[in-house]
Amino acid sequence: MHIMEGFLPVPHAAGWTLASAPFLAWGLISLRRRLREQPEQRMLLGVAAAFAFILSALKLPSVTGSSSHPTGLGLGAILFGPLAMLPVSFVILLFQALLLAHGGLTTLGANLFSLGIVGPFVAAGVFRALRGLGASLTLGVFLAAALGDLATYLTTSVQLAWAFPDPVGGFAASFAKFAGIFALTQVPLAIVEGLLTVAIFNGLARFNGEELRRLKLLPGQEARA
Amino acid sequence: MLIDRCAHASPWRRISPAAKGLFALAALLGAYLAPSPGLALGLASGLALLTLAGARVPLPDYLRAAAPALGFLALGCASLLFSLGGPEGFSPRLLPEALDPAVRLGARSLAALAALLFLVLSTPLPHLIALLRQLRCPEVLLDLMALCYRMLFVFACVFRDGRTAQAARLGHAGAWRSLRSLGLLAAGLLPQVWLRALELHQAAQLRLGDGPLRFLAPNFPRARQELAWAAATSLGLLLGLGALA
Repeated sequence: MHIMEGFLPVPHAAGWTLASAPFLAWGLISLRRRLREQPEQRMLLGVAAAFAFILSALKLPSVTGSSSHPTGLGLGAILFGPLAMLPVSFVILLFQALLLAHGGLTTLGANLFSLGIVGPFVAAGVFRALRGLGASLTLGVFLAAALGDLATYLTTSVQLAWAFPDPVGGFAASFAKFAGIFALTQVPLAIVEGLLTVAIFNGLARFNGEELRRLKLLPGQEARA
Repeated sequence: MLIDRCAHASPWRRISPAAKGLFALAALLGAYLAPSPGLALGLASGLALLTLAGARVPLPDYLRAAAPALGFLALGCASLLFSLGGPEGFSPRLLPEALDPAVRLGARSLAALAALLFLVLSTPLPHLIALLRQLRCPEVLLDLMALCYRMLFVFACVFRDGRTAQAARLGHAGAWRSLRSLGLLAAGLLPQVWLRALELHQAAQLRLGDGPLRFLAPNFPRARQELAWAAATSLGLLLGLGALA
């Protein structure tokens, strides 16, 4: 869920930009170090950004009868790690603003915080925690992608509630209001994105298991998610 | 991609992106500085007219480009019009006094959206990337952007062909089957990401690539005059709005 251009008041737009900036700088420093060690990753991340952008522009059938767009960032966070995904997320969000008019330039910081920082870190954290606890790849991938999506949508609801508190009930009532309204599309989308990510992993394990093994996402003998 | 197509077809693509960027920035500032919703709506209408008549963007394309943001705006503004708080707990009730702030927010967002659409519908993305390079954006990000933009069209074409083939085999008949087909398509494409990245890396190495990717910047012979015009217009716009405040 992208916050549109001009929707946030100036202090909030500036504040979220400042909050995202250190993370982006951290991601860039980490990426530069990674590129020094593995120069071929420069091309890989650029091409992966294009793939994630195309994925995010596709229409998904939604449970509510409408259609939604996947973020693809949970998949990227599982495959490449959330830190490497930070600059990639920035590029994808900038391209979404410039090529699709989803989001905007004044809200780029706020959208980066929810879609590029919170979502991928939650997705990667959930995936690692579940795999560490011995959960199957299917469950790990599904919950990582779905909870990453939900975390993104809840963060956006927090951002909106903070910017526009309810005149009577304050932040809590406003959060309930925004989260409730956008839940109609975002909760089904999270479930659908979780299922789609599992389908992608199943396809990858079937046709290209070697890459998953190289990324240490698939142990030696596990053939399908 | 609709916006990219419109930008490449616009006669204003030949105008310096720095000039258009400066004017769009001033218009964004103007959206926030506009003292009344009427003026913000006037600014939005002016920018929309400029984009439609000046940059020659067809109206249906303009509306289609704006539609996702307008959907968000409608939901966002509607949510400000009612409250969930109160002495009787979380029960929704209309807030007549919230109408004014909701209208202000809607007008401001429309003006800001019009400013963004003015820029992106008249400026192809490679020109904006070149502008970011002039503004000293980190090299790594510029590389990611350049690669991402070039590969978008390759992947979009592969995705479109794959979906057509799947649709011909009834792969999108029903939501569940459509989801499975989409997953298979994305999974089938993902190995290409590795393959194409490896090929690009090898090609760069063969051409003695030493790291950052370099591209020729587009040439704008009248950039200085256009920038001066944009600066004057932007100043006029902001002073006009300031005088009305």
